[in-house]
Amino acid sequence: MIQAATGSVVYGGDTQGVAKMQAVMTIQSVPDFAPQLPNQEAVDCLRLVASEQDKEAFGRLYGQFAPKVKSYMMRYGADSAWADDLAQETMVQIWRKAGQYDPEKAAPATWIFRVARNLQIDRLRKRKMHEVELTAEADRADEGPTGHDRLVEKPDADKLRELVDTLPSDQMDVVRLSFFEGLSHSEIEQRLSIPLGTVKSRMRLAFGKLREAMGETT
Amino acid sequence: MKTAAHHPDHSTMMAYGAGALSEGFSLVLAAHLETCSQCRACKVEAEALGGELLNELPSAEMASADMSDFWDRLETAPQAEPPAMTRHPRHEGLPAVLTPYLEGGMESIRWRSLVPGIRQHVLEGIDSGNGSVRLLSIAPGTTIPHHTHGGGELTLVLEGSYSDEIGRFQSGDLADLDPSVHHQPVADSDGPCICLIATDERLQFSGAFSRMLQPLVGI
Repeated sequence: MIQAATGSVVYGGDTQGVAKMQAVMTIQSVPDFAPQLPNQEAVDCLRLVASEQDKEAFGRLYGQFAPKVKSYMMRYGADSAWADDLAQETMVQIWRKAGQYDPEKAAPATWIFRVARNLQIDRLRKRKMHEVELTAEADRADEGPTGHDRLVEKPDADKLRELVDTLPSDQMDVVRLSFFEGLSHSEIEQRLSIPLGTVKSRMRLAFGKLREAMGETT
Repeated sequence: MKTAAHHPDHSTMMAYGAGALSEGFSLVLAAHLETCSQCRACKVEAEALGGELLNELPSAEMASADMSDFWDRLETAPQAEPPAMTRHPRHEGLPAVLTPYLEGGMESIRWRSLVPGIRQHVLEGIDSGNGSVRLLSIAPGTTIPHHTHGGGELTLVLEGSYSDEIGRFQSGDLADLDPSVHHQPVADSDGPCICLIATDERLQFSGAFSRMLQPLVGI
């Protein structure tokens, strides 16, 4: 299904162009698939779900994200039925935790990625990942007058998309192995037969560009 | 609160955001992030990349097009805490993520002496592959013999301080060491230097001499 939805045969030529067109093709070629939800509309949907348990608004989030999360789970080795189940479970958590979503801290896609990632780690890789969710008070206490207070910029969706489209393929390869296969740096070293230092420097370069795209100046 | 001077490498923060780190490494990073807003921002940035990568994945059609089984499931699914989220009260001087492993706080730790001036306590129940997560307490003035690392290692200073070839590490500072680092840390403040240390799965020791040194290759 995933493969069938892409259109690489139609779009020959340079690979970045193909990747870009594939993304567009995918959205258009899946029947009854909602058009890509702009960032601000996804924020509004989450607000409506939190405040009014709005099923219609949630349906739009589901139409956009459940098939993506299913695809993500399949990259981690789940078969179609299991990935479907995990995508639904992710969306159950999105529905229930919508009240905790804070648009000042993260874009909807970032937040949904985090929920999907944690479920993937727990169910598919049977691991744990420690995170700390600080209360707003603790967060403020940490940002004292002498503290290094660096606001998390809200990502510009277009710039992020451009980043992913323009990242050199050697950097994108290590990024994908990390995000879509969960490989550690030393596992990537072995997989690609490149030195550990190279894996890390490609990751650093990608992170530097990511920061630029998100409006960081440091 | 004092701002940390030493932080995890950006490549480590990318792996953290991706979900590609061992449990032990994620524990040490979570402890650092509790007091480091700068690194919390890095994590969100890495996760924003994850969100964008998710957006660009081809869509895999859901089995049920009309969501009816989703609404059924929502009514029957048990209310569970999300996995791997830590919510514990803070002990004085102890990162919140460590409280499940050190319920009595720092005072209740049963240290095991390794060599004069150096004590350790291994944290049980944390998956670190062939590595480990432990606390090391180094008496003031004590030097850890010159050594290298078999694999990657994260060291977070909880109390006191140490200095090595890289710099001076105080409470809240994190040393992100890869296998190429050679160093000789010295505890350099009045009280003991207490560190939280995670080693990764690539740590490989074989000979008897190396095994004897293994407990020392912690900082």
